[in-house]
Amino acid sequence: MAAVTDVDNDGARKTQILILDDEPIVCKRLRPAFQKAGYEVEAFTDSTSAMARIEQKRFDIVITDLKMQGTDGMRLLSRTKEIWPDTNVVVITGFATSETAKESFRKGAFDFIAKPFKLSDILDTVRRLVAGNSKR
Amino acid sequence: MDVLAGLKELFCFWHPPKPPIPFVVLFKKFKSILERNNRILELMADMGDKLSGDYIFDRQYINDACERVSDLVFKLVSDLNILTESEDVELFIAFERIQHEIHEELAGRRAVPVIRPTILLDELNSDLSEEVGNKFANLGDIRNTLGLSTPDGFVITTKAFFDFMEFNGLGKDIDKALSCWDGKAQDHLEAVCKDIRKRILQATMPKNLLAQVNAMADILGSRHHTKSLRLAVRSSAWAEDNEHSFAGQYESILGVPRSGILDAYRQVLASVYTPEAWQYRLHRGYKEHEIAMAVGCQVMVDAQVSGAMYTYAPLPLEKEAMVISAAWGLGPAVVQGIAESDTFVLDRCPPHQLLSLEIGQKERRLAQGARSGTIWKEVEEPLHGAPCLSADQLQRLAHAALAIERYYKRPQDIEWTFDGQSHLYILQSRPLNIRPEHREARSHIDDATLRAQVAFSNKGTVVQGGVGSGKVFLACGDEDLKDFPYGAILVALHTSPRYARIMQKAHGIITDVGSATGHMATLAREYRVPTVVDTGIATKMLRQGDEITLDASENVVYLGTIRELSRFELTEQDVFEESYEYRLLRRLLKKISPLNLIDSHSDDFKPSRCRTYHDITRYSHEKAVEKLIDLSENYQRYHDKVPKRLEVDLPLGLMVIDIEDGTSASQDSRAVTMDQIRSVPLKALLKGLTESGMWTTDPVAVDIGSFMSSVTRTCSTSMAGYGRLSRNLAVASKEYMNLNLRLGYHFNLVDAYIGDVPNDNYVSFRFLGGVTDFIRRSRRAKFIAAVLEQLDFRVEVHGDLVVGRLKKNSTARMCSKIMILGGLIGYTRQLDVGMKSDDQMARSFADFMQRIQPIMDWPAGSDEQGARSV
Repeated sequence: MAAVTDVDNDGARKTQILILDDEPIVCKRLRPAFQKAGYEVEAFTDSTSAMARIEQKRFDIVITDLKMQGTDGMRLLSRTKEIWPDTNVVVITGFATSETAKESFRKGAFDFIAKPFKLSDILDTVRRLVAGNSKR
Repeated sequence: MDVLAGLKELFCFWHPPKPPIPFVVLFKKFKSILERNNRILELMADMGDKLSGDYIFDRQYINDACERVSDLVFKLVSDLNILTESEDVELFIAFERIQHEIHEELAGRRAVPVIRPTILLDELNSDLSEEVGNKFANLGDIRNTLGLSTPDGFVITTKAFFDFMEFNGLGKDIDKALSCWDGKAQDHLEAVCKDIRKRILQATMPKNLLAQVNAMADILGSRHHTKSLRLAVRSSAWAEDNEHSFAGQYESILGVPRSGILDAYRQVLASVYTPEAWQYRLHRGYKEHEIAMAVGCQVMVDAQVSGAMYTYAPLPLEKEAMVISAAWGLGPAVVQGIAESDTFVLDRCPPHQLLSLEIGQKERRLAQGARSGTIWKEVEEPLHGAPCLSADQLQRLAHAALAIERYYKRPQDIEWTFDGQSHLYILQSRPLNIRPEHREARSHIDDATLRAQVAFSNKGTVVQGGVGSGKVFLACGDEDLKDFPYGAILVALHTSPRYARIMQKAHGIITDVGSATGHMATLAREYRVPTVVDTGIATKMLRQGDEITLDASENVVYLGTIRELSRFELTEQDVFEESYEYRLLRRLLKKISPLNLIDSHSDDFKPSRCRTYHDITRYSHEKAVEKLIDLSENYQRYHDKVPKRLEVDLPLGLMVIDIEDGTSASQDSRAVTMDQIRSVPLKALLKGLTESGMWTTDPVAVDIGSFMSSVTRTCSTSMAGYGRLSRNLAVASKEYMNLNLRLGYHFNLVDAYIGDVPNDNYVSFRFLGGVTDFIRRSRRAKFIAAVLEQLDFRVEVHGDLVVGRLKKNSTARMCSKIMILGGLIGYTRQLDVGMKSDDQMARSFADFMQRIQPIMDWPAGSDEQGARSV
């Protein structure tokens, strides 16, 4: 399975981000924010399409909500780590409990952010991730 | 509840006296009221912050937050009822009314629909788009929020439309006719349309509607001192001027005399059912129940020159130009392309240079007919080939158009007119779709932001998202903002409501200090001016005249003008402020945050006047304090404590309830002297209050402005708050104090514990309210915050509410801080009256810090506590 890459003018590969949240407002606001920061973004409001997309393409970062209709965000997290162990997953959720946080980390989440959150917080998290990745 | 239980409840006051409730139990209830009161105020501020654009929140958050605040308010009211042992159902009724409205909003039903069939333009805004259609809802924003001129008028609402259709049995017939149509046969549709239109044109107006329209016409007639009112009657349907423009689908009729309003109204309604309009809707997936037509009636402008304008010219985007088409006389000449016109192309960037000009031979102009309608008139020879807009008019048009564009964050298609006195009126504004090829736009945007030089980023708090470019205008003192240049970015030390006057000119605001919940923040959000506050460094990093781009959505300040960023914003798929969640939260907050019950001495200070949760909270707090004093004074059989009046020279009206070892006065004593106070925190605070010399006793020169404001706020000329002695309350034990001190119109709440273990020690201070206008009160709030910060308190400011907390200091240090707090309470007693300028605030700060210095050096607390530790 060849990952589709997107290359900017200087020839460097841009960081690829997938966002899944069943509330459109979250996708609508995160997408342009990440685009402006120079990332390539695909955003989904239904988990089935997001699951299918994960099978096709490797993303550097996956940002997912946990509790949604249809697939649970936890499944997207597990499946992502299964096929793309290097992909970092950030969990965003409105039902933040220490249980769900623990489970997310056990399943390999990089960070766990409770909604509502500041736009700058998630941008920082992603920046930290990208900086970490480039050092590897 | 069964009848018996109800009767029992009703007659319970006949029961023999109950055994006394220990005062501590009552006090516990009171404390829980205070705690809820505090949590409600904080949650409200928190919800308000979410509108800044700084947070990502979803529908779930809105539901949860409303649920939490409702729950807290309900428990607050219940606690109050227990404390007051009353059957104050009024407050529950107020709560239930507000909660019901909130539930309705959350369920997607508009809680306060305008059920009036007509509404004046002065009352319109985009929240009323269901009632008046998008076209007039937008005009409402433009007129009432942005402050641009639109012709005066009123709207016959969609409610009237439904009434009209139902009254004449038209709705059912349309449904029936449609169900017979196979969706294809064109002749059939045309026949149906013809029939419906004919019936609308002959239909009867419901009486109530008739009366309402007449009343509105009377208002317009008297406002414009004319008996021969001439109106433009214009369509404003659901969905029109929104995602689909419906441009030219529905009818608008110009020059309608008063006697012709009803016919014109019917004509506009009939235009809903032309085959073309119907096909247009069907083609775009509109259902029949999504059709509703509001009709606007506006006073005709004596148009000298009119036209249309695109804020983004249909040129390659790099050209960054706007285009104006204009001709002499009324607008339809240009809009419908039926006459020669001039074309002006202007630079989008200030000073909006004229890039090109094409002059048409304008031999005819459209004018109002003598009695009704419009007629063509000859244009005088010399004007045929003359440009019909002056340089000044072009500038004003450009400024107005870009203000509208910035507000909606979308390029706009605007219809406008200048009257004989060269006064500009906006007739209509709708979004202009210029979304470019997505991929191309995106690669532009990240190239641009990666290349650009960042001045600073992620400093402070975003108040209002959005992008703005312009020259830095540094405001460090009280300089005259009259000279604030159009299109500049204001960089200032503090937030200040003073900046209201530059909101329409500014492309952005950045401050060093300030909160996201103050008055200025509210205004910045109203005008949607990109704003970041509390950066700490803006005035140091940016110089006068620097070209910068503020991206408040990402909280980054770039050096230079990054055109790609503004373009990106204008072509973004969704505008946050137009999102359903934003509008919903804003509507909900209107039922939660505003405070209407300001003066507790006013007749309106009662449960039935509570319109928001804030009102209920304020009322409950006031009543709880009152009740606790009352209980302790008058109902001694209920409990075991006697309140003691503090004997002190200052007019504090302070009652002290000693719960354990707080005073050395005897159990039954009705008074207590300063020397008898044993409570460590209370002693320290009173010492600061009485001995620091900070109690301002000089008569304060009340200038007329602040005096009038206090009169209007209280509806009483007696200055009740100052004249009448407040009854204040302190509950104290050896280590603990809870003080509710109302001085004049503002509240000081101090809750403190000072024991031997530093880890247990805390003091929490809250300050709220005042008599003068909001600006002065928020200046005073800022002054208090500055002092508290100097004393190492953790400080939050929400408008004029200041919250300061300090924990875990040694006993001596705590005492010293509380003493200074006492001094501060005395000093600020009437300070808002003096807060005429921001400078005054800085002077007060310096003055206070200097005068309090001796206290800082005093041995702290009571003598046996020893010297202040270092």
